[in-house]
Amino acid sequence: MNLDTLDQAFEALKTYDWGADGSALQPLDEAVVATRADAAARQALEKRLAETLTTGISRDAKDVVCRLLMVIGTAASVPALASLLADAELAHMARYALERIPAPEAAAAMRAALPQLSGLLRVGVIGSLGVRRDVESVPALAALLDDPDPAVACAAAVALGAIRTPDAAAALAGSSVSHAEVRRATTDASLACAESLLAGGQRAEALAIYRRFAGEDQPKHVKLAATRGILACAGQSQ
Amino acid sequence: MGSHLRPTRRQFLQTAGAAVAVPYVITSSALGQNGVPPASDRIVMGGIGIGNMGNGDQDAFLSRPDVQYVAVCDVRAGVREAAKGKVDKRYNNTDCQAYNDFRELLSRPDIDAVHVATPDHWHAIMVIEACRQGKDVYCQKPETRTLREGPLMVEAARRYARVVSGGSQRVLDDYRGIVDKCWGGVLGAIKSINVNVGPLSQPCNLPAEPVPPDMDWDMWLGPAPWAPYNSKRCDGNYGTSGNSWRSYVDYSGGGMTDWGAHHFGGATFAVDVREQQPEEVIYHEHQGQPYLSFRYPDGLLIHHNRPHSENLAVEVLPGEERPAKPVPSYKGTGGIYGDFLECVKTRERPFRDIELAVNTVMISHLGIIAYTLQRSLKWDASKQEFPDDAEANRFLDRARREPWQL
Repeated sequence: MNLDTLDQAFEALKTYDWGADGSALQPLDEAVVATRADAAARQALEKRLAETLTTGISRDAKDVVCRLLMVIGTAASVPALASLLADAELAHMARYALERIPAPEAAAAMRAALPQLSGLLRVGVIGSLGVRRDVESVPALAALLDDPDPAVACAAAVALGAIRTPDAAAALAGSSVSHAEVRRATTDASLACAESLLAGGQRAEALAIYRRFAGEDQPKHVKLAATRGILACAGQSQ
Repeated sequence: MGSHLRPTRRQFLQTAGAAVAVPYVITSSALGQNGVPPASDRIVMGGIGIGNMGNGDQDAFLSRPDVQYVAVCDVRAGVREAAKGKVDKRYNNTDCQAYNDFRELLSRPDIDAVHVATPDHWHAIMVIEACRQGKDVYCQKPETRTLREGPLMVEAARRYARVVSGGSQRVLDDYRGIVDKCWGGVLGAIKSINVNVGPLSQPCNLPAEPVPPDMDWDMWLGPAPWAPYNSKRCDGNYGTSGNSWRSYVDYSGGGMTDWGAHHFGGATFAVDVREQQPEEVIYHEHQGQPYLSFRYPDGLLIHHNRPHSENLAVEVLPGEERPAKPVPSYKGTGGIYGDFLECVKTRERPFRDIELAVNTVMISHLGIIAYTLQRSLKWDASKQEFPDDAEANRFLDRARREPWQL
């Protein structure tokens, strides 16, 4: 890794914006690969990248930094990334990194941000917690199933359907939504939980879910899914 | 309308007809004559993403007597109005509805099936939502943009027993010579097959241009990171060298996925591993040039850009035989489109069933990750992850821009 060119790339980052020459930042990509076997150098690179997020560099430059932290970010980058979760322009790219950083601190930061956010920004964080299958967020997500914002309630249902634990299934079973979109999301998430429970040998719990969706009041394809699930619970061919 | 109140298609047509007007004349087309099914027995379809490939898909479905095409959706007003005009001309009426938001089209209870030909970063969201709404789907290739999307699409299709077909017609149509030799046992047992395809997509930093007044730019971007409009960023042409969305990482895997869906699809078909996924990606360098080998559970290899090797060149295992098997083919008539429609009627799985399509495109995704990390990778198909490889697992998916999620 050539430190001079890396310095030049960090310098270029200060004025980087849409339309700028992307090759000026190439040394940053190269440094990601070059530091793979050098923990100290990787740590220094990460620290330097995370620090740029608190400076006045452009949205485009922060976009680039978040993409790099998606690859090399650790718990050390989480505070800088989490500070962007309430920024409408940068929240997505913050999650772009946080969603993929395996450190539990990344999920914890998003859980902590959840009550502070509203609207789309809250929806985004809910989605990322779901993708991470973050079981610790189940109580918070369960509480959001009845949120007056249908987008938030839908997002919570989808996230619980991604997490698929018995607790997630129970939360979905306890919701009583009337909004059509939320109901569809809750139905799909419940069916996903049932599949997971059945695969894990919890037939009775899966069967209880399937029975809820097998009635004549359900759309044809939902009733079909539930009926197939009931047959699967009984060990019969689908 | 609440989904629990969903009527059957016939009931919907009856209700809609009564609500709008009582026709003075019932046409022979509506009643069904000369081999044309009556309107109530046709597959009611809509199309989402009607640009380049979508335009061709629309033509194919619109020409079918067993299809009643009723809706189009595109984020470019000019494109969707042109697409609506084509439908209206075909049926000699003005009934086709045009939508900017695919969710409105998918919420229509009268629509049985949709075709999706948006840029790749939208495919999974739309296919899964269509399944949740009880629609069958024909989705253009490459069907996925990330590894995580594929199993979720298959899961949605299976959960609701939907017919979901991928969109590579070339898998069967273009590689028939090598497919017939392999399946016919002429070559004996296969050791490896090579695929030459590329390039990988690149980051995009094009400057801002004014958004065309007839375009919903935010909806075009959808789950992808926000970026300013630039005509080259979103052009639907088939190039991968900077003048189209197929060039850029947020929307496409480049030629590696775009043509990879065809070539890897042909290769996996020829050597009969369509239902499997590789368990290892081996990274090689030859005179400074990287290339890959995908190793399948039975030891078979699919090489990518192996030096001095032709596209779909097959290596055989000397002295080992392979019993001849009948070559799977399309059902119905009319190529891959007819295959999809036939399966919509019979509820069979189509030739390019979504699971087989996912198994193809994931090869491209694995390859992109191996080239990016410049090393070999193990793959656990049962867990859909890189075992004990936290670095590679970061590339399984990418966060979607709010409000979009999977």
